[in-house]
Amino acid sequence: MRDPGVSPVVELSDATLVDIVLKGESEAYATLVARYRDRYARFALHMLGNREDAEEALQDAFVRAYRSLHRCGDPARFGSWLLAILANRCRTAGGKRTRHERRFVSAEDRHYAIALDHPAEATAWREEIARALARLDADQREAFLLKHVQEMEYEQMSVVTGAGVSALKMRVKRACAQMRRMLTEGEDAPTR
Amino acid sequence: MRQHDDLDAMDQGDEVLERVVEELRRPLRVNAALFDARVMDEVLRPPSGLRARIASLTQPRTFRVSPLVALAAGLLFAVTAVGSVLYVLPSTPHAAPRVAARSAINSPIVQFGFAAPHASSVALVGDFNNWDPKATPLRAASTGGVWSVEVPIQPGRHLYAFVVDGTVWRPDPAAPKASGEDFGEPNSALTVADPGMR
Repeated sequence: MRDPGVSPVVELSDATLVDIVLKGESEAYATLVARYRDRYARFALHMLGNREDAEEALQDAFVRAYRSLHRCGDPARFGSWLLAILANRCRTAGGKRTRHERRFVSAEDRHYAIALDHPAEATAWREEIARALARLDADQREAFLLKHVQEMEYEQMSVVTGAGVSALKMRVKRACAQMRRMLTEGEDAPTR
Repeated sequence: MRQHDDLDAMDQGDEVLERVVEELRRPLRVNAALFDARVMDEVLRPPSGLRARIASLTQPRTFRVSPLVALAAGLLFAVTAVGSVLYVLPSTPHAAPRVAARSAINSPIVQFGFAAPHASSVALVGDFNNWDPKATPLRAASTGGVWSVEVPIQPGRHLYAFVVDGTVWRPDPAAPKASGEDFGEPNSALTVADPGMR
């Protein structure tokens, strides 16, 4: 018998919820927020390197998505559509910070560490990963995260990023090579 | 192995990158109630003008209990409940709970929702009804297996749970668990804000 305590979050499809919201039941949007909040917060955190920027970008993405929900061409793929908005927000936020701060992640490592699920295990290894990610080109970092952390197919990634499949494969390949080199050889030079 | 399938762009057996991916896939802990409250506050913000905002503060809200939206009510309830703790006296007064209205006895009305598609009955029990499984039965929506009920509850912190089919005690999956346990069963925590504080 099915667990009677199953969360409502898993009960309605994205398409149904989008339809409900568009018909005026705005409160139903909370279910979509809950559905995508954590996994996309993780993406934003890895893209931007600190929790505050990540949550701000994600909140902004959710609000923008709501306000333009009528333009969501395929409500069944609301998640991909939302992620495209979020990725765009992360690019904008990351670009601003790059211009203004041009920082590496050392000052943010602590934020990064405490944002993860096991703060007591925030090791040097974790910090190395954060540092290496931050040194990737933004396009490569985005492609790497979408492919290997969000576990998307290249066709989906193409929809989200607007880039072609071939270009995305190249970005992922280069990102993997850069990450491997930085983490095994202790390479210190930025890739940009 | 799923992970190896996902790593098709990497060299198979690349231990370093597998460890990286494993680390990056760790769950992220977000303050769900606060985050959701912020998003929904923006989403539900009245579209225009000070007048609309004032009206939203002075006029009691009524429930819309269509079967479809009832499904989202459980989650929104968590947003409201916890948000009222973490979001006390927000800078924008319309951040008040959307599921709350004033009852005749001036207590906020809270809507409880619970998904139990195969249950024959669901009841709400809590310190506000002496944990009586017969006192507050939930009504089933016509579709979707969602049960709901609206209850006037006095401001303050309360513990509650659902009783399914008269015997199975369930906490609210959309609300924080209470730190303590009554009757040896898991409960959920609810904090109802004082309407006069808004």
